[in-house]
Amino acid sequence: MSIAAWVKRLLPPVTPLVVVFAAMEVAVRMGWVKEFLVPTPTSVFHALFTDGAGSREMWEALLRTAEGSFAGFALSAVLGLIVAVVLTSAGWVQRAFYPYAVFFQTVPIIAIAPLLVIWLGFDLRTVVASAFIVSVFPVIANTLAGLLSVDPALRDLFRLYGAGRVATLFKLKLPSALPSILTGLRIAAGLAVIGAIVGEFITGGGLGGLIGVARREQRVDKVFAILLLSALLGVVMFSLINLAGRLSLRHWHASESAS
Amino acid sequence: MPAKLAPLLAIAAALFLAACDRQPAAPPATGPAMPAVTLQLNWKADPEFGGFFAAQLNGDFEKRGINVKVVEGGVGAPTIQMVGSGSVEFAIVSADEVLIARARGNHVVPLFAVYQICPQGLMAHAERGFKEIGDIFGQSGTVAMEKGLPYVKFLQNKYKFDKVTVVEPSGDLSLFRSGANVTQQCFVTSEPIAAKRAGIETRTFLIADAGYNPYTAVMVTSEAYFKANPALVKAVVGAVRDGWAAYLANPGPANTLMQNLNPSMDAETFAAAAAAQKPLIETEETKAHGLGSMNPERWDTLAKQLVELGVIEKAPSLMITRVVPAPQTQPAKP
Repeated sequence: MSIAAWVKRLLPPVTPLVVVFAAMEVAVRMGWVKEFLVPTPTSVFHALFTDGAGSREMWEALLRTAEGSFAGFALSAVLGLIVAVVLTSAGWVQRAFYPYAVFFQTVPIIAIAPLLVIWLGFDLRTVVASAFIVSVFPVIANTLAGLLSVDPALRDLFRLYGAGRVATLFKLKLPSALPSILTGLRIAAGLAVIGAIVGEFITGGGLGGLIGVARREQRVDKVFAILLLSALLGVVMFSLINLAGRLSLRHWHASESAS
Repeated sequence: MPAKLAPLLAIAAALFLAACDRQPAAPPATGPAMPAVTLQLNWKADPEFGGFFAAQLNGDFEKRGINVKVVEGGVGAPTIQMVGSGSVEFAIVSADEVLIARARGNHVVPLFAVYQICPQGLMAHAERGFKEIGDIFGQSGTVAMEKGLPYVKFLQNKYKFDKVTVVEPSGDLSLFRSGANVTQQCFVTSEPIAAKRAGIETRTFLIADAGYNPYTAVMVTSEAYFKANPALVKAVVGAVRDGWAAYLANPGPANTLMQNLNPSMDAETFAAAAAAQKPLIETEETKAHGLGSMNPERWDTLAKQLVELGVIEKAPSLMITRVVPAPQTQPAKP
């Protein structure tokens, strides 16, 4: 890509960022907004990159949170997919178990996280479990919707040719559900980051633990820096799934081949 | 010319307001101009706020012509920022929060310190046989404390955390009950009472005894509000002092009021907590200078400790300590 093309591509997303940051900086420096309520972008930058051990601690925390988020997300993706496939195996299975899957969507994670700590301990397992609980439902729901909305004509065709259940699942249902599955995974990716951070509120590690510390120290600059890091983590996960989606769908599906 | 007169006028106004304050028997709730202010608590209604509710119950605020709304807070209620931003006029914080806030440009003014001795402590299982607070850190175990709080830094600096694992507290007794090697942070007026009622033998150690003793449950306002409404602020402090005197003498009525707001805590616990906190509130210092009074030297000590611990870069200006009103003389009984 030429430089002009890059500029054209990067200008739209970067402009709002620059405008908002400049406005924040000016508002605080002019004293319109108090600095203990909103930090200046320069102080956030300092906390992120030039604060010595403080900055290093933050980036290390990001790695730990990434670990928890990825593991929780992977667990959600695999188990969510399996659960959705099992739920479509028979009408009565779905009626019997789907309502309980809803539990995962409604559980107030902040309320049960302290229990997770007692069951699983103050380590990565609690963080992974928290990320999993928060992110599994969108995978189940979207996969289920995808599996159930297979083109009836194609299903009839498979039946006509005497395709077995396994062949129908892998050659028809899962491929045609792929766009829905990817939607579910995109939602789950962001939620897994939130879930991991909430878990860390309780275990005290990673970005979640640091948010607690920064708040008690009344360091809004640190809090915002940590929020930026968690956003970064969310963007990375989201991008990876988009990449996976592009690779798997580009040859045949309208949602990816159009662009 | 008029510019030179302004300071004189300000002083005159201040004197006038100060004079007004000497007569607490301002007209009661009849006039339309009774100013309404909010006192934001940093936790649910419980005995640590007993005097504030007693002042409300006994009409101590109305007697001084102020309408004070006492509002409960939840977990992590950012009361110090709320005062600093002007969203509430008064709030409850702790002394170290005040100094950190001032060092960060949030100019709050401490007015009334409920706890002369900080009720923050560590609660261990009695079977561990600890004799003093340092023993907790002398052998392996789990200690649930909120990392980032200055007292935790103080303990880490003094005792090192090489042998113990520091974890986040659960906010209830569940973690504490999960094993005898778990020690947790507590308010000596709260968790030990709950543990006792749950049948757990505990031993509690005050952080203050280790040498870190910030005033706790400190009522603050913002410097801007204080400067704009000196008489009102003084009147609120006077009412609060009366409220605390009443509460210490007889906590029953305010406890009943608070229990309606916070039904998860039962009457017995209210009574036990009120009794447990009394020696932390009423000390030789308050007998000499009045309830809630603050000693500038203790603020200095605390500021020095926070600088040593690296919590703040340098001690913020201590104008904060001189604005505290002298204890009110008790009005003669009719």
